[in-house]
Amino acid sequence: MSAVDERRSGPGALASLRLRYSRTFGMAALIALLAFLSLYPVSMLLFGSFHTTPPGVAGAFDLAGYREVFTSETGLVLLNTVGISLAKTIPSLALAALLAWIVARTDTPARGVLEALVTLPFFIPPILTAMAWGMLGNPQVGAVNQAWRWITGSQAALFNVYSYGGVVWHMMQYSTPFLFLFIVEAFRAMDPSLEEASRMCGASQGQTLRRITLTLMLPALTTGFLLSFIRGLENFESPLFFGTPVKIQVVTTLIYDSINQRSVPEYEFATAMSFAVLALMCLLVFWQWRLLGARSFQTVTGKAYAPRLIKLGPWRWATFAICVLFFVVAVVLPVGQLLAGSMFRFFGFYSWDMLTLDHWTEAFDNSDIRRGFLNTLALGLAGATLTMILGGIVAYVSVRTRWQGRRIVDILAWLPWMMPGMVLGVGFLWGFALLPGPVSIYGTIWALLIAYVALGTPLSTRVMSSSYHQLAYDLEECARVHGAGFWRTLWSIVVALSWPSFAVGWVLTFFGIMRELSASILLYSAGSEVLSVVLLRLWGNGQSEVVSVVGLCTMALVLLFRWAQARFLARAVATG
Amino acid sequence: MVEVVLEKVSRKFGGFVAVDDVDLAVRRGEFVTLLGASGCGKTTTLRMVAGLERATSGRISIDGEIVEDAERNIHAPAERRRLGMVFQSYAIWPHMSVFGNVAYPLQIRRRPKAEIATKVAAALRLVEMDRFVDRPATALSGGQQQRVAIARALVFEPTVLLLDEPLSNLDARLRAQTGDEFRALQKRLNIATLYVTHDQSEAMALSDRVVVMHGGRALQIGPPEDLYRRPASAAVASFFGAPNLLAARVTACQRDGDCFRLSLDGETWSGGGCAARDFAVGEPALAIVRPENIRWGDAPSGAAVWKGEVQASVFRGATRSLHIATASGLLRVEAPALASFAVGAQTQFWTGEEGVWVVPPDHASGS
Ligand SMILES: Nc1ncnc2c1ncn2[C@@H]1O[C@H](COP(=O)(O)OP(=O)(O)O)[C@@H](O)[C@H]1O
Ligand SMILES: [Mg+2]
Repeated sequence: MSAVDERRSGPGALASLRLRYSRTFGMAALIALLAFLSLYPVSMLLFGSFHTTPPGVAGAFDLAGYREVFTSETGLVLLNTVGISLAKTIPSLALAALLAWIVARTDTPARGVLEALVTLPFFIPPILTAMAWGMLGNPQVGAVNQAWRWITGSQAALFNVYSYGGVVWHMMQYSTPFLFLFIVEAFRAMDPSLEEASRMCGASQGQTLRRITLTLMLPALTTGFLLSFIRGLENFESPLFFGTPVKIQVVTTLIYDSINQRSVPEYEFATAMSFAVLALMCLLVFWQWRLLGARSFQTVTGKAYAPRLIKLGPWRWATFAICVLFFVVAVVLPVGQLLAGSMFRFFGFYSWDMLTLDHWTEAFDNSDIRRGFLNTLALGLAGATLTMILGGIVAYVSVRTRWQGRRIVDILAWLPWMMPGMVLGVGFLWGFALLPGPVSIYGTIWALLIAYVALGTPLSTRVMSSSYHQLAYDLEECARVHGAGFWRTLWSIVVALSWPSFAVGWVLTFFGIMRELSASILLYSAGSEVLSVVLLRLWGNGQSEVVSVVGLCTMALVLLFRWAQARFLARAVATG
Repeated sequence: MVEVVLEKVSRKFGGFVAVDDVDLAVRRGEFVTLLGASGCGKTTTLRMVAGLERATSGRISIDGEIVEDAERNIHAPAERRRLGMVFQSYAIWPHMSVFGNVAYPLQIRRRPKAEIATKVAAALRLVEMDRFVDRPATALSGGQQQRVAIARALVFEPTVLLLDEPLSNLDARLRAQTGDEFRALQKRLNIATLYVTHDQSEAMALSDRVVVMHGGRALQIGPPEDLYRRPASAAVASFFGAPNLLAARVTACQRDGDCFRLSLDGETWSGGGCAARDFAVGEPALAIVRPENIRWGDAPSGAAVWKGEVQASVFRGATRSLHIATASGLLRVEAPALASFAVGAQTQFWTGEEGVWVVPPDHASGS
């Protein structure tokens, strides 16, 4: 058809030919870039998993790494990981569903505020809450246990955060708001007459909740469950803080330990382990597709329904209290602990004469902290911007064009989604070390930037494609019919109309970079430390007071961004 | 036998009165329609009967049993009222098959499996959907969803059926046909039906009685023909078509059976008319003249006569709509399509006593 087209179009033929070539070239460049961000680290993982020596050192190939992966010891770690993730996902899902129902479907007072409060923990870097809970739940001097002893007069601790329970507890604080964000829209978008029809058929409120509401929510709940479960397998901070000190191991800490905590780093095993985790993730994701592909019924239609809320009567104060309690536990307690930690001379000794501001001056004078902060800020700004631009381009190509190769673009951009930060970190470790001579990324801040862009691209693509999906096609076509060229159309319609999603995605990506620890800790080197790495090091040195100061400042930054987002962008795009 | 009775039922949302003192009784087997513009409180009224919304004052009883009494704080929840209801969006559950949707009310009532199967089959046969039993609900067209919704509302044999604009999501052709079919089904089952619509032709074609609602109040209740021919006010008359409303003064009034015969003096015309109530001589009145009751040519003596110029003549297929500029203002006339009127021509139009219905002027009728 193209040959006929060209002959017919006469004077425009040359221009269209040029457009076609530049488009082909552009697509090739895009595919190459995406492949470098996703396929390259994956193939380097495979390469490294057979390689007997660390990255960059000449060596031979054998199967020793995999032999070690398939031992009962490693199997136990894997089981442990799955067990912990299940143990946190199930209660988180139940709690998130309850909170989402309260906020979206009942007449609980101040629902808007409650929604903002309940989702806040999602935006707080887990490393901060981990440190706060490390102090709060310390069996000897933790505030929770001190309070418990003081109230009950008993000698025993209420709760030791360095335990399985502690790991699960800390994971829940992050996964509950994550799941909440994921399912609340599904609750909100449900046509209330579906429930009323059930009442009219003679079903009670309880029967309706069970047979209609929850069943209709099942796809959203299942997807949320699987997502959160996968996130649980990838989690690094919680097991690192609360598991490692008491010898509770999961796959991420196992990989980390075998590279960083052994006298001789076991790269081959760590890489083989990473590749095995990646394979496992693939299986899980495909299973998720199979499971949900069959039952993807739509309850979310474009119609705006009159918000018909369930009247709870006096119970609405109980539901109000549930939301507030969650906020207190997940935000107020940790922040309060950081505040207290930063103001007293020694952690755990809370009396008037111990009050001091020394830690604040110490923190601000510390050049490591300052550098980490500046690095994080620079990486966050640049990384979020680049990631969103890349995501915007990828989404545009895959959603709004019929260009050849757009499926490949889509899949490549999505691939890092299956890679835990730790696994991608190991992949890039190999990838950067094996790049040909003059290109030296290894050990520079660029390594981190590239890893962050790779990790963020799936999310940014998703945010942007859902925004493009909402733009009517005729808008764009109309602009083109009226003589706007391709770039002009792209600018005036697509960019001008989808900037709110861009901004929301930018903030989410920025938060993602701020809280990233597992890839950073593998890829940083002297001079390119990010804040989370610096914090971890200070914590390891027992400087919990200075950590508290930095934690508070970071928290303030999070709040500022969150406030700006809520203030200037009417509706957050709930994606994970 | 009365199935549903509403006594002085009101519903306020904050300070806003959505339904205002509505009285209504629906008899067994009767088809009653709530008709009114969007936002006039039809849905709210229906939802109060259903038990999905609470009344802020007044009483509702179903089958002799009080289900709602705001003063005594009685409120039977929706599931205990045993009413069938069809929602505007149909509310077909997307996670169930057609069978699952229709069987649900029986499953909730814990009927035996065999009974469920036969009753569902029977209900689906009623709406001619028996071929689609195993279809997933998401694979149905709008019309089919509507039929399933009706089958679901009927399957547990309620004595009252509530429908909220069930035809508004269908296209025009399907709407008329489905409406007629539903009316036939309703007559066959002899089920009391409360029906909501904003479409006056639908209301007239289907109903035994129509409740004309405006601003939360029931303006008039009666059979469609009564409402059309003997409206209580200009507001009600304007609901059905676009009648000519002409100001006049009563010059004589005398009782004749159940109506009153009047003589009227208009601005430039005079003639006879009928009314439902007594008028004093000299009282101002409003003459309602339907465009289709206006004739042209030589007028018999005693007829009201208007002379004017044809301003517009619009061919509508079955009829022809004329706009006539007269000394008493614009006059709308519906003529047979084949009658020929040249635009600009001076013509004489008239109507006899039976074509003029007289109501009090708007401010006096209290609407
Ligand atoms: N839950 C509610 N809260 C406040 N106002 C309402 C509510 N439901 C209905 N209304 C108002 O009551 C009026 C009547 O609504 P409705 O009964 O739905 O009208 P109709 O069905 O005739 O279009 C409308 O003005 C509507 O805005
Ligand atoms: Mg309505």
